[in-house]
Amino acid sequence: MEQRTDSPYPRRDRPVLAIIGVLLVVSTVLFVRSDRMRDFWYYQYTFKQMVAERLGEEKARQVPGGLQQVWVPALRRADRCVTCHQAVAWKGFETADEPYRTHPPEPLRNHPIERFGCTPCHGGQGWAVDTYEAHGQVAHWEEPLLSRELGEAYSLADNTNALMQMNCNVCHRYDRVTKGMEAINHGKALLRDKGCRACHVINGRGGTIGPDLTNVGDKAPEQYDYTRMYGQRTAFAWHVAHFKEPRALISDTVMPNFHLTTKDAQALAMLVLSWRRTPMPADYVPGAPRTDPVTAEEAHAEQEMKTGPGAWFVKTGCFVCHSIGAFGVKSPAQIGPDLSNAVEDVQARFGKTIDDFLANPTGTMAVVLARQIILSPEQKQEAIRNLRAAFAEYQRQKEEGARSGGAPKLQGSH
Amino acid sequence: MSDLTSRAGAAPRGPAAPAGPAAPAAAASAPGVHPRPLWSLRPESDRASGDAVVSNFLLHWFPAKALKASLDWNYSLWLGTISAALLLLLTLSGMPLLFLYVPSVERAYQSIKDIEYVITFGSWIRSVHRLAAHLMVAVVALHLARVFLTGAYKNGAGRGQRREWNWVIGVAMLLLTLFLSFTGYLLPWDQLAYWAVTVGTNIASSIPFAGAKIRELLLGGRVIEQPTLIRFYVLHIVALPGLLGVLFVYHMWRIRKDGGLARADREALLRERAEVAPARTKTYTLLGIARGTAPTIRASSVEAADVTVNAVPDLTRRAAIVNLGTIALLSILAVFIRSPLEEPANALVTPNPAKAPWYFLWLQEIVTDTTLHIGSFTINGALIGGVILPGLLVTLLTVWPWLDRSPAGAAGVWFGRDRRTQNLVFVLLALGVIALTLVGTFCRGPYWHFYWPWQAWPEIPGRI
Repeated sequence: MEQRTDSPYPRRDRPVLAIIGVLLVVSTVLFVRSDRMRDFWYYQYTFKQMVAERLGEEKARQVPGGLQQVWVPALRRADRCVTCHQAVAWKGFETADEPYRTHPPEPLRNHPIERFGCTPCHGGQGWAVDTYEAHGQVAHWEEPLLSRELGEAYSLADNTNALMQMNCNVCHRYDRVTKGMEAINHGKALLRDKGCRACHVINGRGGTIGPDLTNVGDKAPEQYDYTRMYGQRTAFAWHVAHFKEPRALISDTVMPNFHLTTKDAQALAMLVLSWRRTPMPADYVPGAPRTDPVTAEEAHAEQEMKTGPGAWFVKTGCFVCHSIGAFGVKSPAQIGPDLSNAVEDVQARFGKTIDDFLANPTGTMAVVLARQIILSPEQKQEAIRNLRAAFAEYQRQKEEGARSGGAPKLQGSH
Repeated sequence: MSDLTSRAGAAPRGPAAPAGPAAPAAAASAPGVHPRPLWSLRPESDRASGDAVVSNFLLHWFPAKALKASLDWNYSLWLGTISAALLLLLTLSGMPLLFLYVPSVERAYQSIKDIEYVITFGSWIRSVHRLAAHLMVAVVALHLARVFLTGAYKNGAGRGQRREWNWVIGVAMLLLTLFLSFTGYLLPWDQLAYWAVTVGTNIASSIPFAGAKIRELLLGGRVIEQPTLIRFYVLHIVALPGLLGVLFVYHMWRIRKDGGLARADREALLRERAEVAPARTKTYTLLGIARGTAPTIRASSVEAADVTVNAVPDLTRRAAIVNLGTIALLSILAVFIRSPLEEPANALVTPNPAKAPWYFLWLQEIVTDTTLHIGSFTINGALIGGVILPGLLVTLLTVWPWLDRSPAGAAGVWFGRDRRTQNLVFVLLALGVIALTLVGTFCRGPYWHFYWPWQAWPEIPGRI
């Protein structure tokens, strides 16, 4: 047996190591448990039971389990609300309690869930999957769920569910009246009646006595002065109190007291808090211009084309390729020759009269008249009448031009 | 050969061992050749114990024999090992986060939300990472305090010792730890991150002449934006950990070159006085230094059986206790202490108060306390509190081994009598830093007004 140094340590250190081994097992159990324990397992189980009860086992098997989300790439939002609120798209749960209630179908018709998600309208924290975090009732989340309960906490007049209209107005800001947004509509009417713009710039328009309110909804809640305020200390409560009696909050303000009712003050507070810089893609905002600007002259010329002597060519679609210079019709594409002198031009090009050509067209026109612009014999006669009228006008202008030294201008190729 | 076969090795080698002729036995006894393919954590002899150290890659930096005195819980408090364990944990927990975190100002915050709410174990992993980072700052600082208070940066009995340089490397590693923690602070891109980095880099900008340039270099511009985030990110995941890893390896290697802990020198000195002859023969191998005299390890060549134990298993067991214990403790803490995530970074809204990370709060406290208002003039304290004072302290710490003229005997013992004055000054300074940190952390509210911890701050208003 080789030498072996004695050691006093094993007797003391081995039990310590064993305890640490136990602690490692305990910690594993703890962190796995804390990761798995989620509210939604209970809600999903209950909803499955409800579906089985009302619609049968077959349907209950279709209820998805585990984490669910609506991912809206355009808004960069992942709303996991549907993990618990599974009934949103199910029919037959209209009267159930939340979170098992069917979403009212009316707002979804114009705002499909796949395109809008949940939180852009309802508020709350879509990333979260536990009740309090998801409803935004936690520190460091400034967008609480705009629920009826919150409205009740503010004792909203008329409709306690109106707070959500603030989020509607992020997109519907430039609407004069929006269906279903009574509180905000009321606020907008007050805005016009009371002449707020006399002192405030709103959306780039207004006086400069008061501050610019265009993006006042983005002002941080810490930036209001609450020293002379009682009760809830929130930006919303501040605005309500301020609208009712401006001088009570800011002693040296020049803003007059408009003697607004609670309902008025609340509607206006909702309205101003909805004025935010939230970057929504342009195609989410109703009324945002999505066409090229048209000058007055261009609009006038277009109207002339539609109603003038060349209207038939515009209506029938000839003008897509052909200008009819004599009638002032200008083709946007100008692919084909000007039809003003078609009566003689067809003879020169194809060696047949305009009547024969329209009866038996060749080349491109054969294809166009067979597939795109299909004319009945009567319509062809009308075409010939119009072409002759155009030619007459062309010749008249030509003579006039010869007298005054210019010639009518033909447009187009070939 | 049978006496070399441990229990662990017996099973696989069972049939071969008795059948083997004399040749394998001769080969096994040759220098550098180890009779067993696998090392044992429960060696039955000193030789097997030494082999375990030599043939194991992870253990090869251990000595074959460890001084009992160096293994004491109450000498080193194992603070260096705890820091290393935390560094290991930070690396391990950082790996999954690398796959999940997106270093972009548009997506960083969302990726943290996902880690918090839907990634399997994500919240726990992030908490482990954050807690380990905070603890590492504290433990590394405590380790530095231990080394100072035991005078362990002093060279002792061995030749070729460079303990003072290992101290300098240690100071550099403390600064790296602070900077690593600071760069990690920005990554979640929330209000806490944004404004802590604002405070930190504004202090840096008070450096005379070059301040503005240094701030611009740190931020990659004049405001905290995407260039800042990517800078801090790359520093946090590549540059600083790489540098820290290199210094860590060199730090450990130097400890071996310097003959172990300073306490080993002390043992050597005391034993020489007692004139106990060291053991003549060695029954273990040690990285080829077994033959001849080895001046590089003479400092720790106190080999009497009554003061040493085999590194395997006694040192390895304690290393396992400290490492696994740190991991277990942190893992449990991370379940109960969730990591905060404030509102998304917003350059227009300053949280009140805007606080630096806790380990810089003593500096922020000094900055505000040295900011004087005389009439309408304001003398900014950032230069004194943010640059001169910490610069002076770090410089003093770095050069202290050369200023400390106490005898070698003062090293390797807590509060050595010959180093009483400097230890006292160090403790007072440390207490001052701790007191200022506590005041900054717990007693400063909005507008940096003083609040007792039990006093309520003014209510922070919400939006709706």
